[in-house]
Amino acid sequence: MANKYYTPDGFTDQLPGVCAFKRELETRLRNLFMLNGYEEIETPGIEYLDVYKNFVAEENLYKFTDTKGRLLCTRFDGTIPAARFAAGSSEALPLRLSYIENMFRMGQVGGGKQAGFTQAGIELLGATGSASDAEVIAIAIKSALETGITDLQVSVGQIGFFAGLVRQMGLSEDDAAEVKDAIANMNSVIIENLDISDEDKKTLLMLTETSGTYDAIDSFMPRVTDEGAIKALENLKEILDILDGYGFLKYVTVDLGLMEDARYYTGVVFKGYTYEVGFPIIGGGRYDNISKTFGADLSAVGFSISLTLAITALMRQDKFTPVAGAQVIVGGDFAIAAATAETLRSEGTAAVLDTTGMTEDELNEYAEKKGIATVMYMNGGEA
Amino acid sequence: MLTIALSKGRLADQTLDLMEKAGYDVSAAREKSRKLILEDEAAGLRFILAKPSDVPTYVEYGAADLGVVGKDTLLEEGRGLYEVLDLGIGKCRMCVAGPAELKDKLDQIPNKRVGTKYPNITRHYFEEVKNESVEIIKLNGSVELAPLTGLAEVIVDIVESGRTLYENGLDVLETVADISARVVVNRVSMKMKEDEIKPMIAKLKIALQQGE
Repeated sequence: MANKYYTPDGFTDQLPGVCAFKRELETRLRNLFMLNGYEEIETPGIEYLDVYKNFVAEENLYKFTDTKGRLLCTRFDGTIPAARFAAGSSEALPLRLSYIENMFRMGQVGGGKQAGFTQAGIELLGATGSASDAEVIAIAIKSALETGITDLQVSVGQIGFFAGLVRQMGLSEDDAAEVKDAIANMNSVIIENLDISDEDKKTLLMLTETSGTYDAIDSFMPRVTDEGAIKALENLKEILDILDGYGFLKYVTVDLGLMEDARYYTGVVFKGYTYEVGFPIIGGGRYDNISKTFGADLSAVGFSISLTLAITALMRQDKFTPVAGAQVIVGGDFAIAAATAETLRSEGTAAVLDTTGMTEDELNEYAEKKGIATVMYMNGGEA
Repeated sequence: MLTIALSKGRLADQTLDLMEKAGYDVSAAREKSRKLILEDEAAGLRFILAKPSDVPTYVEYGAADLGVVGKDTLLEEGRGLYEVLDLGIGKCRMCVAGPAELKDKLDQIPNKRVGTKYPNITRHYFEEVKNESVEIIKLNGSVELAPLTGLAEVIVDIVESGRTLYENGLDVLETVADISARVVVNRVSMKMKEDEIKPMIAKLKIALQQGE
C-alpha cells in the first residue's frame, strides 16, 4: 500500500499567513463573547456516541472505540457537548458559554464545505423569552461584522409557526412531512396539489414567497388561529423590536419557511448569509429539548459562525489580508545579533535571529524571499 | 449579475427558448462557439454549460446562482437546493423495466439484481419505498443490455417513448417517479440576490402559462 503523506479527504492544513489571520479573527470573536459575558469552555473533542446519537445521523460521525470497546465519536458541533456539560453542571442559571473549536463532519463533499472546520459560537442555557433569543441573534450579527463581513443577510424563522399551522389545518403526519419538505425546498407544486382548502394553500404558499420584517409577520397574523402559531409570530415581533434597538434590522428578514430540524430546534431559528459562499456562514436557534437527553431541563438558545466559511467569503470579497510574520531579521556576528534581536523583542517588535551563519548577501536574499522588510547585519568587532 | 447553469444539450436550448419568451436577451448563450461560459454584461446574465449531472453541484456550491436540470438528476444527486419551478419540458418517467413476462411478477423475484445509471434513486426506491434489498449494478449507458445479457433481472432507467425497451422485448414494470426539467436555486443566492431571482422566476412562470 502506498504511503499517504497528505491530509485525509475533507481536511486541509492552515498555512502561515492564513492561520495567523484566522487566529486574529478568533481573538476578536473571543473578545466579543467575553464582553457579552459568555465564558469560554473547551470540550474534549471526543464524545461517547450516545451523546450524539439522538441528534446526528450515524454516517456523519467519525467513530472509533475506547479500550473497553465503547463507541466514541469526534465533535460534530459545539452545541451538543455544551448542553451535555451544562446538564451536568451545578452553576447558577442562566449559563452563558462560548467556544471556538474544530468540528468534524463525515460525508460532506469537498470544496469549501469541509469535513473539518472551525466554528465559534455561544450558548445561553436556562433562559427563555424573546430577549434571550434576540441577544443571541444580535451577537451572531456582531460576530459576522467583527470578522469583517458587512454584506450580511440573516433569515429568522420560528419552528413553532409551522407546527401551529399543521394543527390549525389538521394535516396528517405524512402530509405535514411532505409539506415541510416542499416549503424547505420552495417546491410549490406539491402544495398546489394538496387536498386542503384554497385559503390554507395560499397560507402555505406564502411561506415560500413572503419576505420582509414586520410586514411579513403582519401578513400572516390574520391567517392564523392556532395559539402556538400566534405565539411564534409574537416572539418574532419582540425579537425584531430588540434587534431594531441595536440598529440591526437592516440585516434581518423574516423567513417563516425556514425549516430546520424539529428534533433539534423548538423556537426561533436563524441563518446568516453573505456573498461568494454558497452556504450559510451562521446558524442558530432555540433548542429547549436537547438537555432532556442529558437528564436536565434547560431552555436554551445559541448560534455558531463558521470561521472557515467566513474566511473563504472574505478572500473572495477581497477583504482578506494575510497576516505578515516578523518584519525584522538580524544576522552577522551572532552574539551582537542575538542581543539586538532580544532588545527588539523586548520592545514588542517581532524579530528573526539568523542561527545558521548566513553572509550578508544570503541574509538579504532570504529576507526578500520571506518578505521581511528590514535586514540588520551585525559586523562584530570590525566596525 | 446572475450565473445560470444549463444542462448541455437539448434541455439548454429549450431553457433558452423559454427565457427568451420571458423577455430575457439570451443571444450571448446562443453564440455558436466552444466557450463554456457565455456572458452578457448588459443583460446581467452569465451562462455556464455543464454536464447535466453536474448542474446541481454548481448550484449547491454557489458557483452558479440557479440552474435548470432534470428531476432525475436532482433525485440522484440529492442536493440541498431550492427547487422553485417545474418547467414541464423534457418530460419522461423513471421506471423499473425488464422482460415483459415479469409484469406484475416483479415482487416474486428475491434478491433482484438491478442495472442502472441511477444507483441512489434505485436504492431509495427499493429499500425505502418497497422495503426490499436489491443488488445494484452501476452502469453508464445502454442499460437495456443488462437484462438481455443476464447481468441483471431488471433495470431502473428513464423512459421517454419506450421504443428502445419494446424493440428489445422489454417493458415498463413499475413507475418510480415522473421526471421533468426543474429550476433550482442556491439557498444563499435566493437570499442575497432575491431582487434579481424572484422576478426571473415570476417571469418564467408567466411565460410557461402563456405556452399552455
